[in-house]
Amino acid sequence: MNDKLRKEVIFISVVVVILIASAVLNVFLISNISNSVSQNNGAIPVGAEVIHVVGHQWAWTFIYPNGTSSVNALTVPVNRNIALVVNSSDVIHDLYIPEMDVQVYAVPGMNNTVVFDPTHTGSFYFECVEYCGEYHYRMTGTLQVVSA
Amino acid sequence: MGFFFTFMVELSVVLSLIALLIFFVFYFLYHRKSEIEDAADAAGYESPKQYMRDTLGERPRVLSISAFLNDDAKSIGIRYIVASLFFFFIAGTFGLTMRLSLTVPTPSLLSAQEYNVLLTEHATLMIYMWAVGSAIGFAYYLLPSHLKLKHDSRGVYASSGFWFWFMGGLMILYSRTAARWYLYPPLALQLSASGGGIDNWLAVIGLEAVFFGLMITSINVILIIWKDRDPAIKWSQMSMFAWSILFTAIMIVASAPPLMVGLSMLFYDFFNPIFFTGATHEVLLFAILFWFWGHPIVYVAVIPYFGLIYEIIPKFTNKPIYSYGSGIFGLGLLLILSEFVWGHHLLNSGLGLAWVLFYTTASFAVVVPSAITVFNYVASLWSAEKIRLTTPMLFAINGIMDFVIGGVTGVMQSNQGINQLVHGTYFVTGHFHFIFMGITTGISFAAFYMLFPTLSGGRTYNVRLARLHFYFTAFGSLLMAMAWTVGGLIGMPRAVAGYLPVFQPYQDASILGGLIIGIGQLIFLYNIATSWLKEPSLSLENALEYKGDEAYNAGGVPVPNPIAAEELENNAGGA
Repeated sequence: MNDKLRKEVIFISVVVVILIASAVLNVFLISNISNSVSQNNGAIPVGAEVIHVVGHQWAWTFIYPNGTSSVNALTVPVNRNIALVVNSSDVIHDLYIPEMDVQVYAVPGMNNTVVFDPTHTGSFYFECVEYCGEYHYRMTGTLQVVSA
Repeated sequence: MGFFFTFMVELSVVLSLIALLIFFVFYFLYHRKSEIEDAADAAGYESPKQYMRDTLGERPRVLSISAFLNDDAKSIGIRYIVASLFFFFIAGTFGLTMRLSLTVPTPSLLSAQEYNVLLTEHATLMIYMWAVGSAIGFAYYLLPSHLKLKHDSRGVYASSGFWFWFMGGLMILYSRTAARWYLYPPLALQLSASGGGIDNWLAVIGLEAVFFGLMITSINVILIIWKDRDPAIKWSQMSMFAWSILFTAIMIVASAPPLMVGLSMLFYDFFNPIFFTGATHEVLLFAILFWFWGHPIVYVAVIPYFGLIYEIIPKFTNKPIYSYGSGIFGLGLLLILSEFVWGHHLLNSGLGLAWVLFYTTASFAVVVPSAITVFNYVASLWSAEKIRLTTPMLFAINGIMDFVIGGVTGVMQSNQGINQLVHGTYFVTGHFHFIFMGITTGISFAAFYMLFPTLSGGRTYNVRLARLHFYFTAFGSLLMAMAWTVGGLIGMPRAVAGYLPVFQPYQDASILGGLIIGIGQLIFLYNIATSWLKEPSLSLENALEYKGDEAYNAGGVPVPNPIAAEELENNAGGA
């Protein structure tokens, strides 16, 4: 093995080791947060508050377990599993709540489920991040986390 | 009277169009014939055909109207270079206008509709007409001299590829589509101004034409490299650029057909919605078909420029690149692995855990060939005794650094936790603008500067203005893309005509960056225009094609066509 090739092999081995470590870390992370990865008809943990979300041009409608609904405003209790079942009535949208690390596509004909657990109260914004037509940029709203 | 008058006007228009056509065909055939005969005469050949076979592609080719009349590889290359620059400035103006419209949180300069049209056009034209177009241009222009072509027999076929591509671009421009470059149904099927755009169907036809042209071109380029090159040049002696173009063409041929099928299904849906919307639909199916092409296309847009960097570096270090073998290995591995990662564009779409696990893991693997390539560049620069920082070299070094930033921000997104946080935000926009501004755009300009003495017929550009162009482009794109990347980390959504006031500072910084880039391109235009008015003073041979005494090509192959050292200095773009 000549000198050049040895140097290259050493460099690439270091990169490969770092990448394998990152990939293994990623797999463990996914298995830990598997509930928060958007999945069609995904599992809903026992005792979770199930909120149905419908994306449409150009607003979000949230339907709570007690039958009431709200537009572009979501209120959830703190320290409780919240399951969002997201659907769309027209085109593809994408509900994104940065503070909660929640991102889920709203696809017509699919019931994408994510679960999150807000640990502190406050007011956070959410957005649509899948381009959906003229007033795409207005599909924002506020998430209120209140004490139960 | 009224009818007669209208009739006469129409008749005269039709007759003049026919006359124009006849004149064009005559001029086309006559001009081509006489030019070839003249050249054969000058070289002492009796038969023009023999002359074509023996010497075509080895002589420098000047940019002139004949490039649009002849159908040999170099002429088509010039056509692609000119057309891609044309679309670059159109799409660049769209991008800058979008920036200016975002000075305040609510849409100001543009309405939301207009913003969405510019957003779509900027993306589509930049990727298909600029990134891919200029790569094909350099391929057609450089391959004849790199490979000493002995045949060039598919001229009309190759030319039709160009015209399909060009007409497709014009159709996309004219359609004023607002469905974004990935045309997700059902939005793309909403033929209204507030949905996908009234004439979005035209964009679908235009894209299909672009793909048709790209397929013709790719097959032709593969044949040029495989069959037409001088038999004396072995596979192991081909220039790195030829290798990178070969991989690119294979990638286009392998990945484009699924989307071509998908586009025709989408077009059928305009009349009878059965595939992606309606009763028996599957909405995400089109997204899957799209990204099967949509991810390889971003590698199609960088691999040719990786090859060009391999060609540029040895010219200014007077040394072969560090490792020819691992350079080819890196680009080839990139070709294979990049076909396995397209699913990472749909990680949050509800396709499930198995999908996420496979595509995040595969996305980590694609870093290995990128790292091999970057190490090769760095080692080539590291082992050089002297690096001449000419304008093309500055662009090349800046491109490598931008690629490192863009690559690291890219691999971060292979982690699902981070992906959920940044998918759909400006973080992604920043990530690929680092690469597209640094590698695609920067290296295109580098190659253009190196070819300038040939293209302009022996003229020299103003080196100081070229440097200014470089600094404006490099700093502007760094500022713009960095502001997006940082803003995206706190959740700034992309593709929006307006935004929440909390993101104001990041938008302002990126507007400043965009303006700096815009000024840089005006300097470039001014420099080219004034240089073209000067008297020719140089030989027609440029450093990228015709190597000087001590310059190597990427394979370290010896020097067939020596030109004087100081002339190389001038022709390579200043000290």
